[in-house]
Amino acid sequence: MQKFITSSAEETEAVAENFARTLKGTEVIAMFGGMGAGKTAFTRGLARGLGIDEGVSSPTFALVNEYNGKFNVYHFDMYRVGSWDDLYSTGFFDYQDNGIMIIEWSENIEEFLPENHITVKIDILDENTRKIIIEGTDMRYM
Amino acid sequence: MKILALDTSASPVSAALLCDGKLLGEFYLNIKTTHSQTLMPIVANLLSASKTDINDIDVFAINAGPGSFTGVRIGVASVKGMAMPLDKPCAGVSTLESMAYSLPYSDGIVCAVMDARCSQVYNALFRLNGTTVERITEDRAISIDELEKDLEFYDETVYLAGDGADICFRAFGEKLDNVVLTPVNIRYQHAYGTAVAAEKMAKEDRLCTSAQLMPIYLRLPQAERELRAKQEKIEKGEMNK
Repeated sequence: MQKFITSSAEETEAVAENFARTLKGTEVIAMFGGMGAGKTAFTRGLARGLGIDEGVSSPTFALVNEYNGKFNVYHFDMYRVGSWDDLYSTGFFDYQDNGIMIIEWSENIEEFLPENHITVKIDILDENTRKIIIEGTDMRYM
Repeated sequence: MKILALDTSASPVSAALLCDGKLLGEFYLNIKTTHSQTLMPIVANLLSASKTDINDIDVFAINAGPGSFTGVRIGVASVKGMAMPLDKPCAGVSTLESMAYSLPYSDGIVCAVMDARCSQVYNALFRLNGTTVERITEDRAISIDELEKDLEFYDETVYLAGDGADICFRAFGEKLDNVVLTPVNIRYQHAYGTAVAAEKMAKEDRLCTSAQLMPIYLRLPQAERELRAKQEKIEKGEMNK
């Protein structure tokens, strides 16, 4: 388990950028954290760590955004996904094993996450301060 | 009768050309690229290499599901697009049935299984009798545990096929000693099996128009449970919709 305290969106991005360097290519990263916690900032940093410098935005309406860098990155937003049928029709299961999957609002699909996922929990401590906990490893790479 | 059959239902993609029971050509890829990028070049190459004019195709066949959400949609939409302007009939083949048609060389039960994630599989059972394939169950979505219980009823050899074969064999292969894992070259769905199943459908007058061709999606037990819970809440007046 890794724990970080950040005091700006830029610092959150930097944590994610370093974390990205440890990735092997097909991890599922489940983010937990409410509105304004910094999930999109974390994703932006992670993408930068994989050589993707622009174009990262919250896929609230598209459900999934795709970025291409060192690996393919599939950026999901599960805010409006409320059932297995919803999840299946996002193509969620088709993307697995084809790239990095990073998921906002994992709270909504927690029981359907693959066994080997990595958890990123972001807690709001005050307006600018965040506690980030990264937990779990993809055992397939051990 | 010339049949062009396609499979995009899971990770592999393939196309086969069958003429009166004879396989004229087959193209198979199992790489991590989306079918939307590989399918059309495969079809174009298969037709040109076999010197076949698309106008000479009598039936367009597709594994219409079960399978991956996007894969099935890509396949069904592609076949609709090819068959519609030529006004040719289509065959919507069960992916699971196509697997059974790739295996008829021995006697026993084919247990076709596709990984539906979260310990669930798409499955159907078929009885092989030399060269014939007889369906035992409908296509269904069940948990691996339920499938194991179901297979306890059979004494014959059970051949596991499909991309769920591995996880099923790991789950109950040691407990049920009549269950065998088919070798990898014939384990997964191939468009050849789709074509053979389509040929049988044509003889039995079970083809459809391109407009009638639809994807087959099976509802998973997990989704079913959710839906029931939701309906109960509506009945109790706890939810509006």
